[in-house]
Amino acid sequence: MNVTEALRILRRAPADAPPYSVVLACGFTPLHLQTFLAAHLQQSLAGRRVTVSTGLYGDTAGTLEVHNNLSADAVSLALEWPDLDPRLGYRGAGNWGAAALADILSVTRAAFDRLSAAIENLPAGTPVAVSLPTLPLPPIFHTPGWQTAEAELALARNVLEFASRIMRRRGCSLVNAGRLTEDSPLGNRCDLKSDLLTGLPYTVPHASAVGAALARLLAPPMPKKGLISDLDDTLWWGIVGEIGPEEVSWDLASHHRLHGLYQMLLAALAEEGVLIGVASKNDPASVRQAFLRKDLLVRPGQIFPVEASWNAKSSSVERILHAWNIGADSVVFVDDSPMELAEVAAALPGVECLRFPKDDYGAAYAMLRRLRDLFGKARISPEDAIRLESVRQGAAFQEIAGGGSASEAFLQQSEAAIAFDFRLSTHDPRVLELVNKTNQFNLNGVRYTESDWKDRLSRQGALLATVSYQDKFGPLGKIAVVQGRKDGETLYIDTWVMSCRAFSRRIEHQCLKMLFDRYHADAIVFEFVPTPKNGPLQDFFAGIAGDRPTAAFALKRTQFEEKCPPLYHRVGEPQAGRC
Amino acid sequence: MDAIRDRLVTCFQTVFPDLPEAEIPAATQASVAAWDSVAVITLANVVEDEFGIQVDFDLLAELDSFGRFHEYLCREMQVS
Repeated sequence: MNVTEALRILRRAPADAPPYSVVLACGFTPLHLQTFLAAHLQQSLAGRRVTVSTGLYGDTAGTLEVHNNLSADAVSLALEWPDLDPRLGYRGAGNWGAAALADILSVTRAAFDRLSAAIENLPAGTPVAVSLPTLPLPPIFHTPGWQTAEAELALARNVLEFASRIMRRRGCSLVNAGRLTEDSPLGNRCDLKSDLLTGLPYTVPHASAVGAALARLLAPPMPKKGLISDLDDTLWWGIVGEIGPEEVSWDLASHHRLHGLYQMLLAALAEEGVLIGVASKNDPASVRQAFLRKDLLVRPGQIFPVEASWNAKSSSVERILHAWNIGADSVVFVDDSPMELAEVAAALPGVECLRFPKDDYGAAYAMLRRLRDLFGKARISPEDAIRLESVRQGAAFQEIAGGGSASEAFLQQSEAAIAFDFRLSTHDPRVLELVNKTNQFNLNGVRYTESDWKDRLSRQGALLATVSYQDKFGPLGKIAVVQGRKDGETLYIDTWVMSCRAFSRRIEHQCLKMLFDRYHADAIVFEFVPTPKNGPLQDFFAGIAGDRPTAAFALKRTQFEEKCPPLYHRVGEPQAGRC
Repeated sequence: MDAIRDRLVTCFQTVFPDLPEAEIPAATQASVAAWDSVAVITLANVVEDEFGIQVDFDLLAELDSFGRFHEYLCREMQVS
């Protein structure tokens, strides 16, 4: 992105969109960094109007301290060495001699202490993106440039201590220095002329790279939810149907370690809550035999479902999507065959298709990193640990229940328990994560930033219900969120999402019953908006309200009670909340 | 209007979106409120993007009007 493109992106921002305000704290003239940060954020937050404000030149900590009491949607900090001590930059007139180093170290420690305190005192829940010093230190040490000086190490240690201290604050994230170096090589970062003449030490490309990196931390792409893999020449080397289950390989000795690395990554992703499935044109018996191998690096139990047949790959992928109950755009398909990838891409355009480059080590390295980027997430929740099991149990549930709607006897015997948590807390990141990644049972598809969410929960009459579920098949964890407000005898629901893993259990009915009962409401107004993906919620509303709604609508208690089927859940005691 | 002039007008529109197109050829640093020390650097970068040249920062103080930018570009483009 160049300056012109950045300015044009900002000009195209919708004038009437809700604002998204970011504070950029940096000690230098922000100039293009401000423009690039705003433009990259604007690209990620298309429905918002991004503004980036800055503070006083040379007063990074002061900028953060001023904003401790102001409401910004997010804060970004682009730290450079002169912010810690002006002697570590080119604009300050100070002593670079060896005698000054001890004092410089002492001053930087104090500067880090002040910055840490300023970050820790930012309003709770405000996302903070931090870029640690990206420019090389000036030649102030007595050692030649190719030798590391002891004082340089001491400075680096101070930086790391600062980084680990601020990382403990929830919502604080750091730019990955290694990745930034790939995007913006070290030698191309510093523009001394610009630094001395304008106060911006960055070259234009480096300003763009830092702006992009900070923006990606503040508005990260939604991680993919599932990976569907081919088997032959992908999960392992060889065609299992031809050479047999014992001869397919993935080890160093056979020179097929790329497949082993891929298995290791799949195992790690599975542990992090990513769903892993297999779509393979194969004889199911051969596949079953291969999965009995003890040396597999991904456990067969981590893979569900395995679709091994001679059908088109796209139909196997479709069956897996159905079993997982997630959309095609949440899934990555990996196969070594360009033809199979093209067939899946044509049939399911939302699926991201990646080729497994079995003979190209460079491309394989890039693919493994690409997979990490597609599935990477800032944190792993307890729900991630039980996702696969709950999907597996969900499939068993559907099978026993006989497809679409479960029988009364089955539901009655499922020992279902629902717990409602009505605390208006913003401390559980799972709640907002669920709101922002749920598509099918989603009242209106509105996504929220942390500050939006916090604002909603601080409104007069605000209500929030976080719903957890378990039955004899196992726990599903936190699977639904309802957020709104009460005004008189009416509830207004702005957000209602439920995980697709929780369908067919009448949890949605129990949610409405709980809301009517707890808030003694005569009616609930749903701020419903139809989306291309919220058909399941539309079907549910059609069942209780008579028609598929097309806009916001009110549901009366009598209307609901007339249509509500028997509910067999054991309902947990609601916890105390405001409202 | 020559091609350089047209392209320079586009640059001015990018940096000063509130400036009416008809007023751009007569624009000076004194007549455009948004034309401050930050905008002049941004304008120089946008001109660099558009014309594929390096604007010498030492000359920025002299490039204080549309006309002077235009003259500068005509010289630079002729040289290159």
